[in-house]
Amino acid sequence: MQELTFKVQRYTPGQDKEPYLQEFTIPFTEGMTVLDGLIYIKEKVDNTLSFRSSCRMGICGSCGVLVNNFPMLACHTPVEELKTDRIEVKSLPNFPIIRDLVASLDLLFEKHKSIKPYIISSDIREAEEPTAEYVQSREELESYVQFAYCVKCGLCMAACPTVATDALFLGPQPLGQVYRYCTDRRDMGAKERFHEADSPHGVWLCHLAGACSEACPKGVDPALAIQLLKRAMVFDSMRLAKKRQPVTLAHLPVESKPKIEVPEFTVK
Amino acid sequence: METEVASSEKPHLPNRLGVKGWVWAGRYTLERYLYTLHRLTGLGLLLYVALHLGANGFRLGGEESWTSAIDFLTNPFGRVVEYLVMAAFAFHALNGGRLILQHLGYTLGKPKPPIYPYVDSMRRRRPLTWVMLAVIVALAIYILVEFVT
Amino acid sequence: MKETRLKILQYITGIGLFFFAGTHLIVSHLSSGEPASWESVSDRAASAGWLTLYLLLLTFGLYHGLHGLRTIILEFSFPNYAVRVLDWALVVIGIAIFGYAAYIPISAF
Repeated sequence: MQELTFKVQRYTPGQDKEPYLQEFTIPFTEGMTVLDGLIYIKEKVDNTLSFRSSCRMGICGSCGVLVNNFPMLACHTPVEELKTDRIEVKSLPNFPIIRDLVASLDLLFEKHKSIKPYIISSDIREAEEPTAEYVQSREELESYVQFAYCVKCGLCMAACPTVATDALFLGPQPLGQVYRYCTDRRDMGAKERFHEADSPHGVWLCHLAGACSEACPKGVDPALAIQLLKRAMVFDSMRLAKKRQPVTLAHLPVESKPKIEVPEFTVK
Repeated sequence: METEVASSEKPHLPNRLGVKGWVWAGRYTLERYLYTLHRLTGLGLLLYVALHLGANGFRLGGEESWTSAIDFLTNPFGRVVEYLVMAAFAFHALNGGRLILQHLGYTLGKPKPPIYPYVDSMRRRRPLTWVMLAVIVALAIYILVEFVT
Repeated sequence: MKETRLKILQYITGIGLFFFAGTHLIVSHLSSGEPASWESVSDRAASAGWLTLYLLLLTFGLYHGLHGLRTIILEFSFPNYAVRVLDWALVVIGIAIFGYAAYIPISAF
């Protein structure tokens, strides 16, 4: 592979009627990612190209794009993995286009906010002025920690077939986060979130196509979280759910640890 | 195209895949295709049930009316439709069974801290889905043999 | 938890249909003889067991089918304020179809 052909979606609102593809030929360098290719085009070929990126290491979730018809993080996708020298890059489907490859994730963030993505404590005073630490076993941590790795990149929403037609559907990211918080023993907000997820455009419009989990670049597996949420909601509605006890507190030891002795100065 | 206004207040296309996003599974794998097939067989069976209930009305006209309706429907095309209905039912019923189990979180395993390379729960348990598909194919072949012989 | 309860019913009717529709299809399409002939149909119509099966099949099938259809309609960004209208429309359609379709085997019994 000496050269790569990048077909990049271009679209300027108010100027273009429809998005179109523009072709760029750029040199291949070993280990380059799709994001490296886009940066090369912007720096050396066409500085009007718009795309979003930040950390370049799959942590911030900014550079989600559709690469050869599959949603991916551009920074997390080595060109060699694509096994072709023709790379088509489009903005994420199911999200409005701001310009070129920049999708507006506003709707995702609004839906995410609507499910109260924070610990709702039964003891507000303790939450605001903590006197102790919450006790959490390894099993309790592992019941939700996988879902807490979500970076809100929106790839799952771009992959979901229900989001493809339903603008009102909560979608895999917010629904996965409903389960993430409801299964956390520190949280007592399950009822409020279940109410949100029980809407006509809530959890029951997920039909387990599994595309969200396939697309997720962080191994969060939103499809699993959503199915576990469904089970929790079915058990809750049939009054079969076990009543959860509030999390216990572990008070810090009053006595402080002995101070480490400071070694004497070697140079006096 | 419809317009959706986000808080950025910039004009842009909604860019939704639409019904194509249901039907076209593209580079996604097995369960995504099963999703499409489940929906298509469901709609097909619903259409068949509507026609079937309509045709049942010929019973009210007595033996002559019923027999002439059955004679009209007994032809090679009718047999193909009948076979497709049986095969669609076999798929929809067994895949539906899988969906009920998995919708309730069974056969998917427990959450695991994500360690690269990531394998999601459905891919981990895919052998079960392949077994289900093998049963559906065996049933479809059995029904076909019954129909032909 | 209205939607959850509706979905639980969808699962229950689905499991029921597996048996009821399965029995109906095997008898009507795979058994030997002429299951669709007037004699066979009249014989089954005289049986209380078959009548019960047909009515259960009809009830479960209508709920399962119409609920499935509702799900698909909702996925066209169907507005929340109109869901109640959709639900009532489907209930009316379901009752009308049930009335028509149930009358046929009941009248023949």
